[in-house]
Amino acid sequence: MAAATQAVRSAASITSEENLRLSRDAYENANRVDTHPLAVEPFDKEWGVAISGNTPEPSPFPRINRILKVTKKTTNGFVSPERAELVTQAYIDHPQETQEVKCAYGIKYVLERTPLYIYDDELIVGGLGCDKKGAPVHPEFGINWVCDEMRDGLMDYSEQRTHDYFSYTEDTMQRMEAIRDFWQGHTIDDLAGTLITDEERKGSHEGKSVFFCDAYIYCGAGHLGLDYERLLGMGFGGIRAEIEQQMAALDLADPEAMEKRNFYRAALLTNEGAINHCRRYAALAREKAESAAPERRAELLKMAENCDWIAENPPRTFWEAIQLVHLANCMILIECNGHSISYGRFDQYMLPFYKHDLFTGTATREQMQELIENFYIKIWDLNKLRNHVLIKTFGNGGIGGPALTVGGLLPNGRDGTNDLTYMVLDAHAHVRIPNPWLAVRLHANTPWELKVKTANVIRMGTGEPKIFNDDVTIPSMLSSNVSLSDARNYQVVGCVEPDVSGKTYGWHDCGHMNIAKVLELAINDGRCLHCGESCPRWEQCGKQGKRLGPQTGSLADMTSFEQVLDSYDKQMEYWCDRMVTYLNAVDMAHQALRPLPLLSILMDGCVENGVDVTKGGTRYNFTGPQGIGIGTVGDGLSTIKQLVFDEKSVTGRELLDAVEDNWVGHEPLYALVNSEHVHHYGNDDDYADELTKFGMDTYCKHIEHRKNAHGGFFQPGCYSVTVNVAHGVKQWASVEGRTAFEPVSDCMGAVHTHCCSHDVKGPIAICKSVTKLDHARATNGTLLNWKFSPTTVAGETGRDNFIALLDEYVQRKGMHSQFSVASQETLIAAKNDPDSYRDLLVRVAGYSAYFVELNEDLQNDIIGRTELSFD
Amino acid sequence: MRFNIAGQPCGIVTNIQKYTIHDGPGIRTEIFFKGCPMHCLWCSNPECISPAQELGVYPKKCVGAENCGYCLAACPLGGDSPIKFIDGELQPVKPDSRCQGCFRCAEACPSGALKLWGKEMTVPELMKIILEDRSFYLKTGGGVTLNGGEVMVQWEFAEQLLAACRSAHISTCVESALLCPTEHLERILPLTDILITDIKHMDSALHRRYTGADNTLILQNIARAAELGTRLVVRTPVVPEHNDSPDCIRAICAFLRDKVGAALVQYQLLPYKKMGTEKYDTLGQPYPMGEDYKPPEREQWEPALLELTRIAAEEFSLPAAAGSSGKLPL
Repeated sequence: MAAATQAVRSAASITSEENLRLSRDAYENANRVDTHPLAVEPFDKEWGVAISGNTPEPSPFPRINRILKVTKKTTNGFVSPERAELVTQAYIDHPQETQEVKCAYGIKYVLERTPLYIYDDELIVGGLGCDKKGAPVHPEFGINWVCDEMRDGLMDYSEQRTHDYFSYTEDTMQRMEAIRDFWQGHTIDDLAGTLITDEERKGSHEGKSVFFCDAYIYCGAGHLGLDYERLLGMGFGGIRAEIEQQMAALDLADPEAMEKRNFYRAALLTNEGAINHCRRYAALAREKAESAAPERRAELLKMAENCDWIAENPPRTFWEAIQLVHLANCMILIECNGHSISYGRFDQYMLPFYKHDLFTGTATREQMQELIENFYIKIWDLNKLRNHVLIKTFGNGGIGGPALTVGGLLPNGRDGTNDLTYMVLDAHAHVRIPNPWLAVRLHANTPWELKVKTANVIRMGTGEPKIFNDDVTIPSMLSSNVSLSDARNYQVVGCVEPDVSGKTYGWHDCGHMNIAKVLELAINDGRCLHCGESCPRWEQCGKQGKRLGPQTGSLADMTSFEQVLDSYDKQMEYWCDRMVTYLNAVDMAHQALRPLPLLSILMDGCVENGVDVTKGGTRYNFTGPQGIGIGTVGDGLSTIKQLVFDEKSVTGRELLDAVEDNWVGHEPLYALVNSEHVHHYGNDDDYADELTKFGMDTYCKHIEHRKNAHGGFFQPGCYSVTVNVAHGVKQWASVEGRTAFEPVSDCMGAVHTHCCSHDVKGPIAICKSVTKLDHARATNGTLLNWKFSPTTVAGETGRDNFIALLDEYVQRKGMHSQFSVASQETLIAAKNDPDSYRDLLVRVAGYSAYFVELNEDLQNDIIGRTELSFD
Repeated sequence: MRFNIAGQPCGIVTNIQKYTIHDGPGIRTEIFFKGCPMHCLWCSNPECISPAQELGVYPKKCVGAENCGYCLAACPLGGDSPIKFIDGELQPVKPDSRCQGCFRCAEACPSGALKLWGKEMTVPELMKIILEDRSFYLKTGGGVTLNGGEVMVQWEFAEQLLAACRSAHISTCVESALLCPTEHLERILPLTDILITDIKHMDSALHRRYTGADNTLILQNIARAAELGTRLVVRTPVVPEHNDSPDCIRAICAFLRDKVGAALVQYQLLPYKKMGTEKYDTLGQPYPMGEDYKPPEREQWEPALLELTRIAAEEFSLPAAAGSSGKLPL
């Protein structure tokens, strides 16, 4: 393999003449980079099916394998106290300053003083001011929980915390306790708590969990991407010049100009901090070079040169550019404390550098491939502190949500697939770690080669990449008043959300509502089922004869199905009002206490407008909370309509009683609502699918285009990621056959109860049911999770039929899909817990079958199959 | 030809499987017909053997007589019902002469513990389901595959269904063991794009012992289909100690070379799987190979199967393939 032999040579150890010779072929072909994939690997390279991450030394680059060897494959790290202390010190040193400038000093102190690290073999530097897998503390958002969890043993490994746990020293604990008092009453947590009343609180995560609004309280602003093109084009020096120019042009007699000047002062301080941060890395690399072996010394000196140059200047080479992208992202993570600071359209903004390096012979494809792989590992080294509650809704996160998008249409409407699109996907196959979260944009004219590459990576079974559909996402964004060229230029942020990188302050995933709980209140006259003394709100609510929601009728008294729908609509309006109010309060707290001057200078429009990004300085300003439990609502409505109103086989009272009793003593009814006798979503059955659509549309209707607190409007999303579990734990049984505390349905998927899965007709039926829903209307994104057995997608037959399924999903305007090709582990789990895996389709012999319908021996046989299986 | 209660011609179907990708090209919808004249020892679809509707029993799914008992209430035989509970647990239902086969019990069962094997379906009913996935067929060169049981047992109904597919421009495969009158086959073939069939053994006596039927007619039919220019995929389920000797496979290969020739699209050697045992349980029948029969480990059968495939390909120049997940060379 050419890649492997050339790869032995590392980036810096190759002389420029050699470089020119090595890249001569590439140079010949460089004019064609737009159309013919010329990545390091062939476009149809196969890595096997469902082998997932279980391969030692997956990369053709020995350096990458060496780094992987010392890279921990878990998310646990340690608490790092320096950031919190430095920010505190900055606030103490500048008590007279405005909040914006205080914040600017805070980030400047950290960037200029936090410890830095450079590791063996690595070609890229940058981190969060702590060692690998360490996580800094962000006291601006809340510090009590950090101190309390360390004190109570909830931060480290314990029964309540078996993953995403953090180690810490006695010293760290004391240092955090020492600054705790300083922050009392000054955190986002404190202020948001003051702004809201019990009216909003009662249905929130602090009350009965109809909706959660905690993400932006305990974590910072996130779910956004930087304007990478702006940074790569101007450099921090160019941005400084722009700020100075804007500042000089202010007419200070204008009171607004005073505010702007304040913003510019903060912007300049952070910009200076950023420049100095890069220079510190250059100095450290030089220092390390002194004692390094000759080959490594050359690399370190080159890295120092890169950092020195990009401190102020726009990068010239691929290496410099990727270094700047990584450093900028790390600095924003240090500032924001947010999830999902995403990498935008990497294959587009890096393309000029890629072309430049090939044309000039500065670097070979292999060298750039190696850099991308190193970059991925650098992202995986980052970590983020979460409390023991939040990790349950966001399991196994690491830094969380560093999405990187490739493929898709260009702003001019043509397809933008290029060599880098393929190289980005190859890099995942070569490192097989969970970061970054890759997204491939597909559309009607996506090249077949890219679909093959995408399918081959998916078939490995690592769960990467996800696919996004331009043909529905772009119209969806247009409906949110995004311009056509910006919409075509969208990236995927975090798990799900479409976003114009560097132009959107989208508050994606800031909250989520359990619409299944809304249905519960809608059929029970505004009261929770199982209302009683066990409820923490009993004293102030039920005991006094009150109820959680408005009185919109009970199923026991309703005489037509229209009344059910009407009641659901009214409850939805009521709860959406309250969630919107809550989120706007958190938004206001962010603006008051945690302006983001560094982020502002890396977003489009903030410098021009002289307005901080938190106050609406950039182009598009959204707030995006999600609806959870779409399938649960669909099947719930379908069950009620069919059994109570169409067939009249059960009365509304009986159904409510059965659910109130958690189905105990109502076993035949429980079996019936979970059986194929009832219309269920996910089976290409219009009866249930139409009602599911109603359930989702009603949520969207009451969220879309409502005004938010930072100058924009709300966007509904329809996905749960993993919070369907957290919502389910808070909810009593429900009419579609859930028992108390089971998860509600995930994302756009069908219902899977402990009794059985409600979708029984396989992937095509799922594809068709899900695409009957209006994905474009969920402007904050949708998601469908697919599960395939390895044998269904094995071989060329499996691959091509899988691609056909993708094509059909795209054509039918499904927005977003993620795939698991079940590993052995999953199959074993399926064997032990068949009811949770009803839709797992496996290839048997001569036909495909549902795995759980097979006998044990055969299951064992399938579990034993490998990617070379031909049966 | 069978007719339903409304007097419409109908077939009796045990299962409709969507996203089938290994019985013919592309993504296919597979219809399993009930009724088969053979009794292969390794049959994995015992519910498809009897041409009549049958009751399958899954006691584990049962809610219990005390909690539910809807099946007993629905049974016209009342206290004489062949459905029995012992200590509240549903027992396997033995075929019983008193039972009228109304299957109201299965209809009433809320949990799926009683399952009706075999459903009467008309051509329009099946076409509605088949057409649901048309766009997937168009994208992949897929279509419909009729399977069983034995399709030819219901050949008149199959002919009508295939004709309906033809007029809807949907590609058709038929998988059949071809134990049927040649004139019936000749009616089906013009409507069939690919015929999938199998040869289990060339020795008549052994064929009778393993499948309960002689192979003379089968081989004649295969030759006839080839003569008429039908594209054929031929399979051999390679069953250890039954038909897995190289000479046994050589005999099959010689027949294929001499009698099928260019009509052969692919010769597939399929590994034996012990399966369908859970379905035998629901019918209260024993597994014919023996409940305790243990197939060899993958380490043994896999290289053996590859060797047989090599023989077919190299000694006989057949388009041979191990397994059925390779692409058909169409």
